[in-house]
Amino acid sequence: MTGMGVGAMRRAGILILLGFSACSSGADNKAVATEQSKGPPPMPAPETISSRPNAGPGERLYLDKCAMCHGPAGMGTGLLTRRMEQPLLEKRTDLTSEFVMQAARMGIGNMPAIPRGEASDVELKQIADYLSAEKESGQ
Amino acid sequence: MQPLDPAIAAAARQAFAAIVGVDHVFFNEEDQLSYQDKFAVDDALHHPAGAVAPATVEEIRAILKVARERKLPLWPISRGKNLGYGGSAPLLAGSVILDLSRMRKIDYDEANGTVLLEPGVSFYDLYDFLKSKGMKHWLSVPGNSWGSVLGNALDRGVGYTPYGEHTTKICGIEAVMADGMVVRTGMGALDGAPTWQLYKFGFGPSWDQMFVQSNFGIVTKMGLWLMPAPESLMGMDIEFERPEDLGPLVDALAPLRREGLLQQSPTIGNWLRAAATLTTRGEWTDKPGALSDEVIAAIRKKFNVGWWGVSLRLYGREDMNKAAYAVLEREMGKLKPMSLRPTTWKTGEPIEATGWTGTPLTFPMQNANWHGGRGGHIGFSPILPQSGKAALAQFQRTYACYKEFGMDYQASFAFGERHLINVNAVLLDKDDPAMMKRVDPFLKRLIADAKAQGYGEYRTHLDYMDAVADTYDFNGGALAKLNRTVKDALDPQGIIAPGKSGIWPTSMMGAKA
Repeated sequence: MTGMGVGAMRRAGILILLGFSACSSGADNKAVATEQSKGPPPMPAPETISSRPNAGPGERLYLDKCAMCHGPAGMGTGLLTRRMEQPLLEKRTDLTSEFVMQAARMGIGNMPAIPRGEASDVELKQIADYLSAEKESGQ
Repeated sequence: MQPLDPAIAAAARQAFAAIVGVDHVFFNEEDQLSYQDKFAVDDALHHPAGAVAPATVEEIRAILKVARERKLPLWPISRGKNLGYGGSAPLLAGSVILDLSRMRKIDYDEANGTVLLEPGVSFYDLYDFLKSKGMKHWLSVPGNSWGSVLGNALDRGVGYTPYGEHTTKICGIEAVMADGMVVRTGMGALDGAPTWQLYKFGFGPSWDQMFVQSNFGIVTKMGLWLMPAPESLMGMDIEFERPEDLGPLVDALAPLRREGLLQQSPTIGNWLRAAATLTTRGEWTDKPGALSDEVIAAIRKKFNVGWWGVSLRLYGREDMNKAAYAVLEREMGKLKPMSLRPTTWKTGEPIEATGWTGTPLTFPMQNANWHGGRGGHIGFSPILPQSGKAALAQFQRTYACYKEFGMDYQASFAFGERHLINVNAVLLDKDDPAMMKRVDPFLKRLIADAKAQGYGEYRTHLDYMDAVADTYDFNGGALAKLNRTVKDALDPQGIIAPGKSGIWPTSMMGAKA
């Protein structure tokens, strides 16, 4: 049990969203600004497989294995916000497949190594290919 | 303790591959590293020899047969995310991890509000599943929801809702014993019973808790009760100015919890929680040692928090919540808090994605970065009576100890129905060897200090399982003798998780530190 109170949870949500607003697209900025004018913005809900019924195989595996930490309110996103302009892996344009596989398998910073029992080499390659694929314009 | 000869595990590799397939046997150096304890205080300890990942009960039985023939200990993990307590690492170095994360079946009884889960089902899996069924039932999640629902309940993990004492929501278990026998507890012992997840006790002795924090069997299925989605959620976030406000707050909340007006278990936490999650220590000070009163004041000012804060939540019918809220407001008002912020939600309104609504979360683990580099935390969690005087005294003694050892104080006092858990998350800086050397003597001091008050921990890291078990010393350690007698009867070779919770078979007592 980490024992975080809801006040701290909500403040964390606020700061995470503020972190995003500094670096994400104009549309996101507007959404945050609107929420702020009504009071504290809520924490974003986790993105899981059922959030994106049309996800392709790599995207589906990303949602299954990575999104809990690398989705909007996750630990990985929170920590990457301190270091990167774009903390969301799915929006990054600088990721190579090799780097993703290495980071996941060996761990990096405070990200623990992901064992093969959790994500097989084949699954990890699909995720890495998904995250390193050229992004469509607008992302 | 002496690690096992790695040759024993290496020799079993082929036999394991014959059972689960070569793709589910993990023995190379990268595999060994990936199953180590990510938050270890001493990185040289608890190294596994490798891992094997079965998908079925039959495969587990076959793996156990191989392990028995070779006297090879297995360390079962559900998803291995018990961070702060050892994660995926075994207590005894050279053990093979039995990784159950491939077993992910969910059986849902919507009418009765129960699930039957396999070990690999994570909180996110169950959340996704329930969401796809219309969220008619809510989860209760721990602060790190990355892990397994079953594994968390088996380690007595705690969440935020009225169903937050997870181990008490277990209803029926299927386990594979060391000799390969498959047993079902409670009504599950009656073949074909439709009541396995409905009545906890069955007939005769009730064994669900026998498999909790133990090494008496490998749990392959667990029934769990889920909370019906409430009509309304109301409550308040309250902050208190002074350290000594802890005592009256405990004494005000305890009767409300015992009478059932409060159904969830509030957690009183200190000023570091938000700061450790949202900032790094270097943003506040460059001075070593425990944070000074000036820094504490600056943190409190920035986050607008008290020395202590607590969140109270009411779940259920709106009419009842409104009536209970009035009582809460009156009782908390008597304490003259620094601030009191009400919250309210009703079915149909946008729902907040927090632990209070059973939404899984991982961001609290951001506190691993408090020291700016590679970090983690280790828990110290003694059980106290629900007494303001006892809680305040525990805080004062423990805080003095933190200052003496130069550690930053992050603690909470979490209510049960009749007890408090004083959860301390000792924040580690793995890039500071001097600090890492202080952690072990610090933890040992805290354990001894609690013991001197008659307090024992509810849960601990691999490093302290023997030490904590030894504090349970009534009648010459009679409980340890009972546990060993049971272990000897069920698993004399110590195949399943030897050393878990300080339980070793007689044949392995030499391996105990």
